[in-house]
Order: sequence, then C-alpha cells, then structure tokens
Amino acid sequence: MIGVRRPWRWIAPVLVVWPVVAAGQEPVEIHGFGEAAVAGRFLENPVIADDFALAEARFRLDVSHFTDFAELSFKGDLIADDVIGDVEIDIRQAVITMHLSQWLDVRAGRQVLTWGTGDLVFLNDLFPKDFVSFFVGRDDEFLKAPSNSVKFSVYPRPASLDVVWTPVFTPDRYITGVRLSYFDASVPGLVSAESMGQPLTAALPPRTLGNGEFAGRLYRTFGGYELALYGHVGFTKRPLAFDPTLDTATFARLGAYGASVRGAVAGGIGNAEGSYYDSWDDRSGTDPNVPNSEVRGLLGYERELLANFTLGLQYYLQWTLGYDQLIANSPAPQFEPDELRHTFTLRTTYRFRRETMILSLFAFVSPSDRDTHLRPSFTYAWSDAVRLDLGANIMAGNESGFFGQLEESSNIYGRLRYSY
Amino acid sequence: MRYHRLPTMVAVTALTLTARPSIGQDLSDVDEIVQRANLATYYAGDDGRAGVRMTITDAQGRERIRQFAILRRDVADGGDQDYALLFSRPADVRNTVFLVTKHVGADDDRWLYLPSLDLVRRIAAGDRRTSFVGSHFVYEDVSGRGVEEDTHELVETTDAFYVVQNTPIDAGSVEFSSWTVWIDKDTFLPIKVEYVDEGGEVYRRIEALQVAEFGGHPTVTTMQVSDLRSGGTTVSEVRDVEYDLGIPESVFTERTLRSPPRQWFSVR
Repeated sequence: MIGVRRPWRWIAPVLVVWPVVAAGQEPVEIHGFGEAAVAGRFLENPVIADDFALAEARFRLDVSHFTDFAELSFKGDLIADDVIGDVEIDIRQAVITMHLSQWLDVRAGRQVLTWGTGDLVFLNDLFPKDFVSFFVGRDDEFLKAPSNSVKFSVYPRPASLDVVWTPVFTPDRYITGVRLSYFDASVPGLVSAESMGQPLTAALPPRTLGNGEFAGRLYRTFGGYELALYGHVGFTKRPLAFDPTLDTATFARLGAYGASVRGAVAGGIGNAEGSYYDSWDDRSGTDPNVPNSEVRGLLGYERELLANFTLGLQYYLQWTLGYDQLIANSPAPQFEPDELRHTFTLRTTYRFRRETMILSLFAFVSPSDRDTHLRPSFTYAWSDAVRLDLGANIMAGNESGFFGQLEESSNIYGRLRYSY
Repeated sequence: MRYHRLPTMVAVTALTLTARPSIGQDLSDVDEIVQRANLATYYAGDDGRAGVRMTITDAQGRERIRQFAILRRDVADGGDQDYALLFSRPADVRNTVFLVTKHVGADDDRWLYLPSLDLVRRIAAGDRRTSFVGSHFVYEDVSGRGVEEDTHELVETTDAFYVVQNTPIDAGSVEFSSWTVWIDKDTFLPIKVEYVDEGGEVYRRIEALQVAEFGGHPTVTTMQVSDLRSGGTTVSEVRDVEYDLGIPESVFTERTLRSPPRQWFSVR
C-alpha cells in the first residue's frame, strides 16, 4: 500500500487544499463509511499460527467536487489492521476527470479500472487485482486494486476507444504468505511469511518509461450486442517468472490481445470472450523461468430463473501453448497445471424482503486443477446506512492448485458497515 | 390493439364516433383511452428530466430513501425509449448509474454501472413485476406496462374518470388477476390504480396525490404505492421536471454509465 511511511504526504493536500479551492464554488460532497471486519480460519493451518485472516477497522473518506469542465474525486481508507498490527492508508482514488470535448474525456490519477465480460473472471482486464482481499472476506470492491494511470476515452461516431497508460508497472496485490499460505513447488509444500521468515518478495521491472503499461479497448454496441476488441502491453500481474541471477520471483513481459461479445440470449445475458497471452520472453515455451504463452476463453450465461432469483454459469478455459516444451524443461513437472485448464463457475443470487436481504453463492470448480472455491454470503441492509455481511471463503482440493493451495486458509467472515 | 372484450359492433361504432372527440365529449373506445393514458403517463414530450425521491416505509415504520435523477428519451411515441438513472442516495449506491433501453413487445436491455469497481454489468431482463430498487414500485410501474399485454374494458365513465379494468392475456406472467385504473378525463393521467388478486381482493394500490403542469404536460408529482397486505408504502416525489430538452441519443450509452454527464443529470 502506498504512503504507509508518510501518510501525511497524501492526506495533507487533500484535506487542506481541496476545501479551500472548492470554497465558494459548487459544493464539495463528502461521504464514506466506517467498517469493522473479521475473518477467522476454521481449519488448522500448519504454517500460520494466527487464526485471524482479517481483523480490521476501516474508515473511508470519499470527497468529490464538480465544476463545469472537471470532476475531482478522492477515496481513501484509513485501516487499523490487527493482523499486520499497524495503521495503514490505502488511497483507492485520487483522480481528475475532464470532458475536453464532445468526443474526448481524460481521467488522470489514481483509479480503479475494469473492463471485460467475465464475472469474477478476467481475461482482457489486466488492471491490478487484490487476490488477498478476495480470499479473506473483504467486500467485492477490494478485488480491484487501484493504479496510477491516465485514461483517454475517445468517442468518434463509428466506435468508442479507451486507451490507458500506466507509466509505472502496477502488479496485483498477490498472495505473499501473510494472511494466506500458498504452495511452493521448490519446497514442495505449503509456505507462509511466518515459515519463510519474510513475505514473498518479487523484483519489479526497472522504473523506466519503456516498462510502463498500455491497455486499449475499442468497443461498439450493435442492436443490443456489445462488441469489443482489447489489447494490453505490459507484464504478468503476478510474479509468475523467476530471475535466476537475482534468485527472486519477478514479472514476465506480456502482450494480451482479445475480443468479447455480450448480449441478450434466450431470455438471459450471454457473453463470450477470448484472449491470446503472448509471453514475449518465452514464445517457444522452453524457458522454465518464464510462463508460456496461453489462449484463454470464456463462455457465460446469466438469467433470472424465478422472481428475484438469478443464476449465472461460466466456463473458463486456459490453454497453455508449447506445453510439451514446458514439461520437458520444468524442474517440477508433476506440479505443472494441465495443458487445458477448465474452470466452471456458478453464481446464484436470491434477493428478498424488498432487497434488504441477499443470499448468494459463487462457486469456482476446476476439474483439471481438481480444486474448488465456494463463496456463500448473506447481506442484510438493516437501514440505508447500516449493512451486515456474513460469509465464507471455502477452498479445497489439490494442494498445488490455484484454489486448493488455499484450503488451510479457508475462513468465515463478518463485516458491519455504517455508510454516511 | 385487441378487442377481446368488446363486441365487434360496439368497437366499430366507438371508433367512428370518437375518431375526433370534441372537448367535453366522453370517449367510449377503451383502446383509445388506454393508448392516450399510456402516452400521457410515459411519453410526455420527446424527452424529459426529473429528480425523483422515493421514501420507502415498511410495516414497522422504518424509512429508506432512494434518490436519483432520471433522463428519458423517446425513440417513438408509444414505442421504444431510453432511460438513464443516476443515484445520489443512499450513500452506498451513490453514483451508481442504471441504463435501460425499453423495447415494446420485447425484453428491455439493462445495464448497471458500479463505480467502486468501475464495472459495467449487463443485467438479465428480469421479471418486470419485481421490486424497483427495493421500493414498493415494480419495474413496470416506472417504465410502463405494454398496453398489448392486457385486455381492456371500460367499466364506468364518471364525471371525472374513465374507469378501465385490465385483464392480463398471459395470466401466468403476473401476480394479479386484474387491475383497475381511474384515468382522469382531462389529462388522461391515471389517478388511482388497484390490483386485484385471485380471491378478488385489492392487495395493492397506487394513487396520484399531486399533479402539476410542466411545459404544457400534466405530470404526476407525488405518487404513493401501498402494499395492502404488508402495510408498507412508497411515496415517490418528483421535482425539477423539464420536457423537450433535446437530450441527444449519445447520452444513453456506455459513456454515461462510466462518466455521467452532469449537465444533463443536474437537478437541484
């Protein structure tokens, strides 16, 4: 998280300058929430003694200001974190949006970015995610992590175009062994920050202009069907590569190119998305320290089956190219995932009591990784301001699978939020 | 148009007599009444803007507020429409945008933008009889029920109202067995609507409590829906109503979902 060491550097300009600038103009809108959250592991974890994956109080400040030509928006969280034993600041948004003309918007600053058609599955969206938050019971909002980016949105007649430049590569907030233990093939076995003596660290690419990330999306709606083309040039968002000279995990060069379509199908919504992941530094697939190129595909369908009861299904394929070379060169071929990785997801949502109560289950099931992840949840909006969330993250299966490695990190969680 | 409930003779006669109704002369063609009520309620002007505040009160007296600005643009009178809603209250749905392309005789296209995730979700065309944003209104109350989905019968003409009883053609698709509407003879606005269940009991009522005129278009500004079974109510208050603003088609696109144009959504 940024600004932990000198949080006043972030807070001072916002708290002092902004209201002064805004005084006498359009009103400044101030909102946010306070939230207490706790998640407890319910299985014995051999490498983490702390039973709590989450124990934190979070205070959100959300300030926005609109003028005729620009919108300023700030969202920051102050977190008293009892797992880390520290107070942290996480700036989720500090952005200025300018409508420069009829056909051009620019949005610059720290921001959360999302595109693509998947439901909790991302192919062409290579903006940073926070998988730690995702597995320890924080709100779904925290699955997306912010990046410092400039987004140009161009709206000429035939189609719309987004171009995002992230000057400094921003990786996912990946699993480091602090709240969640993970499988390390070199052990082989389950490890954590506790068992390793330190969290997993990875070497970031040098901070050069050439190592910035570019992402683009060209999209258009034809008769209710949304079509989009995507491109992303940057690095893998998780440290999937290994640098033997530094003896550390690192990020590999990646280009991703894809397309998607979404629209009404048989009384519901259908979507299809595909992407080609071009691993620039290992196109032949022979280098065991760099991930291979991949083709990814997604098919999804969602429909309201009964009043207030929605069912969503997805099939997600990850096809590793040059698989024979990967196995031939891998130091631990027995732990490599299958050439074709299949994942099915299911989402059921039931809203009742005038939408003040929501029962939901999201399930990932991977026959090829032989693992699963279940996300049951219950939300109760006691009033407009007060909301209670209860749920669980249940992971199970094959120890080296993406979800299976987290089995001993399975948890139940509760969150109480007051919004203002 | 369907004439299921009308003997052909009567229908033909009614059409002839009411082709050009003069002021003060009662209409007797129920389909014309229903059509004009539909246009007056949902198609005033070529486009429109309003600020809406819904106060939802449950049987225990607990209140919830839903506040949003709404933009509407007609593709054709009585036909397809575009809607865009920008929520300002409650705090946890602030800046959520809801975009609907209403198709007459087909499923609507619906999108929702969740600002905290920067996520544009496509929403499956759902049951139009389910709660609108947690209120006692249903989606159909907001964007209109297709006139072709019911058979209509003019059961009474009073000094002030045409009283029309509507019976669904596909009874399995709705929770009521019929609904009766009191249509103002001057403005053609529905002033009272009552929904009757299979047992013949009125279980749901919508009342127009206040009507005002904006740009020559009479408009219901305060409306209450009562759930007579549970005792809950929702009161919808509409303000800053404006018609014929010339809202361009381009406002009803993904750009508006991700970056709602304040000049169109600005209501006081």
